[in-house]
Amino acid sequence: MKYLSTSLKSLATGVSLAVLGSTLSLSAQAAEEVRFTVAYYSAKTGPYYEALAEKFEKKNPEIDIKIEVVNWDVLNQKLTTDISSNVNADMAIIGTRWLVDYVEQDVAEPLDGLISADLKNRFVPAFLNPGTLNGKVYGLPVAASARAMYYNKDLLDKAGASVPNTWDELADSAAKVSKIDKTYGFGLQGKEVETDVYFYYGMWSEGGSLLNKDGSSSLASDASVKHAKRIQDMIKNGSTQPGVTSYNREDVQNLFKQGRVGMMITAPFLVNQIKDEAPELKYGIAPIPGGVSSATYGVTDSIVLFKNSKHKEAAVKFLDFMFTTEQRAAFSSGEGFLPVLNSVSALPEFADNESVKTFVNLLPQARFAPTIAGWSEVADITSNAVQAIYGGADAKQSFDKAQKRINRVLGK
Amino acid sequence: MSKKLPLYLILPSLLLALFVISYPLYELINLSLSDVNRFGKIRGFIGIENFTYIFEDPLFIDAALRTVLWTVAVVGGTILFSVPIAVILNTDFHGRGIARTILMLPWAISLPMTAIVWRWSLNGEFGMLNATLMNLGFIETPIVWLAESALAFPVQIGLGILVSIPFTITIFLGGLSSIPQDLYEAAKMDGANIWQQFKRITYPLLRPFINMAIVLNVIYVFNSFPIIWVLTQGGPNNETDILVTYLYKQAFNFGHIGEASAVSLVMFGVLLVFTIFYARMVMKNEK
Amino acid sequence: MALTKKTKRSLWCWLALSPIICVIIFPFAVMFFTAVKPRDEVFTFPPTWLPSRFEWQNYIDMWHATKFGDALFNSLYVSFSATIITLIVAIPAAYALARYHFAAKSSYRLFLLVTQMLSPIVLVVGLFRLVVWLGLIDSVNSLVLIYAGFNIAFAIWMLQNYFQTIPKDLEESSWMEGASFLQGLIKVFLPMAIPAIAVTSMFTFINSWNEFVLALTVLRTEENYTLPIQVYSLVGGRYTVEWHHVMAAALVASLPAAILFSWLQKKLVTGLSSGAVK
Repeated sequence: MKYLSTSLKSLATGVSLAVLGSTLSLSAQAAEEVRFTVAYYSAKTGPYYEALAEKFEKKNPEIDIKIEVVNWDVLNQKLTTDISSNVNADMAIIGTRWLVDYVEQDVAEPLDGLISADLKNRFVPAFLNPGTLNGKVYGLPVAASARAMYYNKDLLDKAGASVPNTWDELADSAAKVSKIDKTYGFGLQGKEVETDVYFYYGMWSEGGSLLNKDGSSSLASDASVKHAKRIQDMIKNGSTQPGVTSYNREDVQNLFKQGRVGMMITAPFLVNQIKDEAPELKYGIAPIPGGVSSATYGVTDSIVLFKNSKHKEAAVKFLDFMFTTEQRAAFSSGEGFLPVLNSVSALPEFADNESVKTFVNLLPQARFAPTIAGWSEVADITSNAVQAIYGGADAKQSFDKAQKRINRVLGK
Repeated sequence: MSKKLPLYLILPSLLLALFVISYPLYELINLSLSDVNRFGKIRGFIGIENFTYIFEDPLFIDAALRTVLWTVAVVGGTILFSVPIAVILNTDFHGRGIARTILMLPWAISLPMTAIVWRWSLNGEFGMLNATLMNLGFIETPIVWLAESALAFPVQIGLGILVSIPFTITIFLGGLSSIPQDLYEAAKMDGANIWQQFKRITYPLLRPFINMAIVLNVIYVFNSFPIIWVLTQGGPNNETDILVTYLYKQAFNFGHIGEASAVSLVMFGVLLVFTIFYARMVMKNEK
Repeated sequence: MALTKKTKRSLWCWLALSPIICVIIFPFAVMFFTAVKPRDEVFTFPPTWLPSRFEWQNYIDMWHATKFGDALFNSLYVSFSATIITLIVAIPAAYALARYHFAAKSSYRLFLLVTQMLSPIVLVVGLFRLVVWLGLIDSVNSLVLIYAGFNIAFAIWMLQNYFQTIPKDLEESSWMEGASFLQGLIKVFLPMAIPAIAVTSMFTFINSWNEFVLALTVLRTEENYTLPIQVYSLVGGRYTVEWHHVMAAALVASLPAAILFSWLQKKLVTGLSSGAVK
């Protein structure tokens, strides 16, 4: 069988001149190769990292950084399958919410011994926290964002609605804006990534939480049901766009950019998109409406170094180069994320920027995804329950069913 | 001539097919009986636990039932549409070559591309389907096609039918061309009308081709992934999930490799049953 | 003026086909018109078919922005190589099945039937591990190998049925005249079999050209993406989707196959039907 596989391999290789060419060029470079899997944020991501790698290689000719850009929806899948077969890159950007899976299965390398104290101290502590598990740093924050409410000034003015501070006010304003022809008051995301989060905002404001003290799911709480019913009412009386479960975040943002939606909740990067695509749009950014308590969702993405990497020192060297003020400022402003380095937040470009300030001010009340194994499946189950409810299903029943399923996943 | 010659001739194909199919199958059996972590590491033998897990999962049962509905609806619809289309394309009329080419076109675009284009066309706000229907006065307000499974799933079935038609009419056209023209001449002499001609001549002679088209389409449709994946990923609320999308999510989104392998083997079993039907049919045709 | 019988019939035929033709043409129209819209007109409400001006530049921008050339090359490479490998192993096997009686014949045919039932999605987890074992993750060559493996059954079956219709005496008489076994096959038999080989290659080519799941699972980096994966990656998991680029890419990607189909349409019908039932 082994012989067969090698002969098949050579057969396959033999057919391809292109492959032959690439093998030759690979063997010509003797430099230590560090593979770095990078998440796709926008069209700028690839070029940014390529340029970064090039600058670094100029200073460190003995190291060759190979950038691999991967889309978000397949990133976790690719990493896990690659790791399972030992063909993973040396380091990768991951959603920090997945980190616990990586740490639990012992594939992520603790960084404390590898990185200098100086490098560690460069980070904004709030963003370094989610990447720290059991007292050890496993992930360095590479992109950070929080969520806030965007509102269309013209539409609110025209409808005589105020910028809402609570969810009841939001429902009220949304109803008013929806009376304007071809516009919808509240843009509600109902599909794909963060559909669950779009629900949590209101659930949190009602005093709900994701998990009980014992780690079991508390999705079917009264707070959830109360918020669910409010959203159902809003859908029913036309305060949201119709057919919410066919709208992912990108779709709702498109409506907002078109000036067709009064309010929506999303991340700082929409600011950049509006600047490029709808510069005429008059909009404001406000905290997410509150209630009993107020909260936003904080998200960080982290760089992890894999245990099986044979180039850890070279990788850390690159990290040290990457997390410097100049390199990071370019990233944060290019992609529209919040600065993760103290030195970058202090730059006037960010410190004096109104929209950045709004998001930064929300950080103290930011909640991050809980660090529990299997979180992506829990989020999926929740999203599905939320979709059923948006489609008219009974809130309590749907959440009860989902909660049971979640607890099965969590082993509670 | 050496007796072994035919064996040498089939050997390369046997090796390649065996290699590509039996190794994965061996892996699947192994994984399905093991406790596997999300990174694919096998942590031990657990018997049929993965199988009981999926059979206790209501989503799996729903997906299995929906797969039956999906397969029956798409294949049934395809046959129903393809027979009359093939009969028309087999009559002699002006521009038949063009008409045939147009009807082959959906085959030429790959399924994921078709699905992507339709996903955009079906967009509630910006999609051209609503715009066209509104211009023509069929509807007054935009329809959000993919928001509810009650609408999304039929749309997906329709799309499944659309992309299955070219292959099916190709088979039927071949069948129709093998029917001797003088049969129809004789029937006309006897005063048979078009419907009677179809019932007495076309249908019985086309029957073996229809059977073949049903079996082949059942296999393709049962395994079909891109339409549902690209349009809804099985949502909303898992209500458009079929077995292949359920399988893919278990394996690659949630890292349940063992459970996913169990789903694979269940599907493999179902396909084996199809194979037996199919083998019988082929053998019968050969006699 | 009286319409001739055929003209009348043609009208009825076209009328009966018109609904399905509309549905078939519709996505092509959507692709075409979205692809020539200026970027800011893609999201207008209510949407319109015609753009304010035709932005042909979109195609050129798309070509660069989506690295279309690389993906096109990968797709061509994978489909051609898979087709050639399939033919190399399927032609001898089909010849053996068509010309000889041997002990394992019926069990081999049964084996082929089983492989024909399976599609990559059912075995995807196992196939992934196979690719890993071969060390071919992120290599288009893994796709070549697997596509060839999955296409063998159908190819052998089609070829065999056609080979049976070629009279045996032709190559036999060439052997009588002193040609070697191989010479007889290559010079006499193969030329007769070209129509079947053409149709079979086309099926294999199209199957490989269109395959999605496996490519999605195995390929990692953009420079190795095949066309379906490249276009899908423009839609899935991105913060912004450039629909005008996506539609331009989908249209350009569909053209080669569409042209091939209209060109070979007649041959397909005869080839497939002789393979399917006879």
